[in-house]
Amino acid sequence: MTTLSPPTKGSGVAVPRDPRPGEPNGGRRLLRAIRPGPSADAGGAALYRRWWLPWLWMSPAIIGVTVFGVYPFLNTLLLSFTDAKPLGGAASFVGLDNYTRMLGDSDFWLATRNSVLYALIVVPLMVLLPLTLAVLVEKNLPGIGFFRSAFYTPVLASSVVVGLSWQWLLSDQGLVNTWLQKAHIIREAIPFLSDSWLILICAMGLTLWKGLGWYMIFYLAALGNVAKELHEAASVDGAGAIRRFWHITMPGVRTSMMLVGTLTGIGSLRVFTEIYMLGGSTGGPGGADRTLPFYIRDVALDPLTGNAGYGSAVSVALFVLTLGLTLLAQRLTKEDES
Amino acid sequence: MRARRLTGCVAGVIALTLTAAGCGLSGGGSDSGDATAGGCKVDEGNVGSGKITGDVKGKITFQTTNLKKDFGDYFNGIIKAFEKAHPDTTVKWVDDPGDATFTQRLVADAQGCTLPDVVNINVNTAIALTKSGYLLDLDKKAPDAGKPFTESMWKSSMYADSTDTKVHSVLPWYSGGIAQTFNIDLMKKAGLDPAKPPTTVLGLFDDAQKIAEASDGKYYAFLANPQLRIPADWQQMDIQVLTPDGKKFTFADDPKTTQWVEAMTKLYKSGGMPRDSLSSTQDPANVYGQGKLVYGPTNPNFLRFIQQNNPSVYKETGVARFMLDDLGHTVGAPQYIGVASTSENAATALSFAQFLTNAKNQLEWAKDPNVVIFPSTTESLNDPFFQSVEGSDPFAEARKIVASDRKTATADEIALTPGELNAISAQIQLAMQGKKSAQDALDEAQKKANELIEQGS
Repeated sequence: MTTLSPPTKGSGVAVPRDPRPGEPNGGRRLLRAIRPGPSADAGGAALYRRWWLPWLWMSPAIIGVTVFGVYPFLNTLLLSFTDAKPLGGAASFVGLDNYTRMLGDSDFWLATRNSVLYALIVVPLMVLLPLTLAVLVEKNLPGIGFFRSAFYTPVLASSVVVGLSWQWLLSDQGLVNTWLQKAHIIREAIPFLSDSWLILICAMGLTLWKGLGWYMIFYLAALGNVAKELHEAASVDGAGAIRRFWHITMPGVRTSMMLVGTLTGIGSLRVFTEIYMLGGSTGGPGGADRTLPFYIRDVALDPLTGNAGYGSAVSVALFVLTLGLTLLAQRLTKEDES
Repeated sequence: MRARRLTGCVAGVIALTLTAAGCGLSGGGSDSGDATAGGCKVDEGNVGSGKITGDVKGKITFQTTNLKKDFGDYFNGIIKAFEKAHPDTTVKWVDDPGDATFTQRLVADAQGCTLPDVVNINVNTAIALTKSGYLLDLDKKAPDAGKPFTESMWKSSMYADSTDTKVHSVLPWYSGGIAQTFNIDLMKKAGLDPAKPPTTVLGLFDDAQKIAEASDGKYYAFLANPQLRIPADWQQMDIQVLTPDGKKFTFADDPKTTQWVEAMTKLYKSGGMPRDSLSSTQDPANVYGQGKLVYGPTNPNFLRFIQQNNPSVYKETGVARFMLDDLGHTVGAPQYIGVASTSENAATALSFAQFLTNAKNQLEWAKDPNVVIFPSTTESLNDPFFQSVEGSDPFAEARKIVASDRKTATADEIALTPGELNAISAQIQLAMQGKKSAQDALDEAQKKANELIEQGS
């Protein structure tokens, strides 16, 4: 760290030492060294603005991202061109074989269909339902804290516990079927846990139920920034609750909606636990409910029969799908804004 | 200028990343000619031919799987006794929770050259570690290691090494055994005689069919998920599940397998199994404990669970010899003890592994009243503790029946990998739902399972 003033060229006079951090004025000198742009003593300060200083401050984050993000991604990309095994050992480059196999693999397309379907259904609901919930619990009424806490509780429960509870609710002799039968709405139990479509729909329901409270908090924070005067003015002009929601509330929380949409989209494409808990380790009867992460587990992670190379290729496909949907969402947002 | 530096930095990071990734892809072995096992540098004495030599001294790590909570005193006693017999040794005991990712984690440890010196593993992990050379080859390093164990168990406890040669790489340890358990009351309600339990697998399905007809959905024979029954049922029926070299599945070629799938399908459709258990993760012990299943899990240790959690169901529980069917004996791989080929104190590790699995120490543990386990040593199984069991308590009954079976039991359990089991079960589930014929489902299951073998080879 530079703490000494540069000697004045040709003066031959020793310049007094600058205070170090901790000494009087030391902290100020340090701040000046890293502050960009002109300063009072621009000539001297420029010398302190070392090119590497910002990199030094950013290095912990850069190292973290490189080790835990960039390296695994590049390694996955490399592995996708090999026949690597989960147990390691020698791997040969197989060119585009894994990608060719993937395109002709009906199980891969089934998993892709399920993942895309999951995102298409869950994302709009996850954007709108927590917002509605947030609007309902936003007002400071007596006892509203209880409802806010109640809606947030599923977020705190582990996915496995929630999954077990839902198993119990949805089994043939579970609470839901029993109630429906006692109310004479149905005669035979609905096969929530043995029909592949119903398993997928129930898994989406579980994701929604578990995420509602979390995103409700996002929206509650955003709603606090929507000016009350706008609502009051609209009311005076005769706008009803729905029109105010549509024309004032929604534009006011637009940025949060985009954020929730993006996060939920990424999350929906990574669903595993819900399918596992409701559909078992085969991913529903016949494996019909497997999503892409589920399929990656099946093809890549078995220590003896897994193919890390092929699994990596499917992972790359999942990455491309996630990136594609995210970019599409951003593009739609920009078009909407313009 | 800055842009050039930035480019340089990014290029450096990418180069470093690619280099690191390249390292990850390179195979095992060593350029320097040092001894290696599974890509790790090891003492020369740990690999190749010749017995393990060296003094029994130094520090070793011993890892068990989920045993510390219930059996801490027993293992601390064993360690203390070993350290007393070999004063220059220290045994550090660690206990792994043994969850679903156990094999992956242990394999990762092995790849990182940090496998514990002595490690408790199941059959799947034993196969994985032997294949990659992470366990001592006992045929070469300790040729007499098999003497204490029952002949059938030792002979069948062999797994393929990296050259596909079957070797002894593990010492057989304890086993839970296998027996039929059933709810006597429900059996009687279904018109079955508890004194005459089935002796064949298809006989069990015949009885289950009667249960389906009598129960009217109030109780069931057993859960529907095929994962709970394969490959045990197939093995008892003496179906050739795999070729002898283990390189190809052949179960679909045997008409008995088709009969089995058809029996499962018929039972499922007639309500002898809970419809929602087809692919679910329900634990049969829990459902049996609720009094909803006639047949309970086949692991006798589950009786302790029922005794503690559902005493009324426990009172109605009967125990019988497992269906020996065409095979004539039971199969079941025990828990194993392996010695890491990467151990820096292999002589000490091997000595401790043999001490832990000797007849005296195995018998002492089997006598623990809180557990139903069976030793793998001939001397222990011949002990009066197993021979002269009195009383008709289900716990005591199970101990008597299973100890007798363990003398001829083999470890030839077909250890399907999770991937293979899922691939096969998924197709059978489709057959049970009527979406495929039994033969079509089996053909597809065999094709997918063979693809997995090929993929892993």
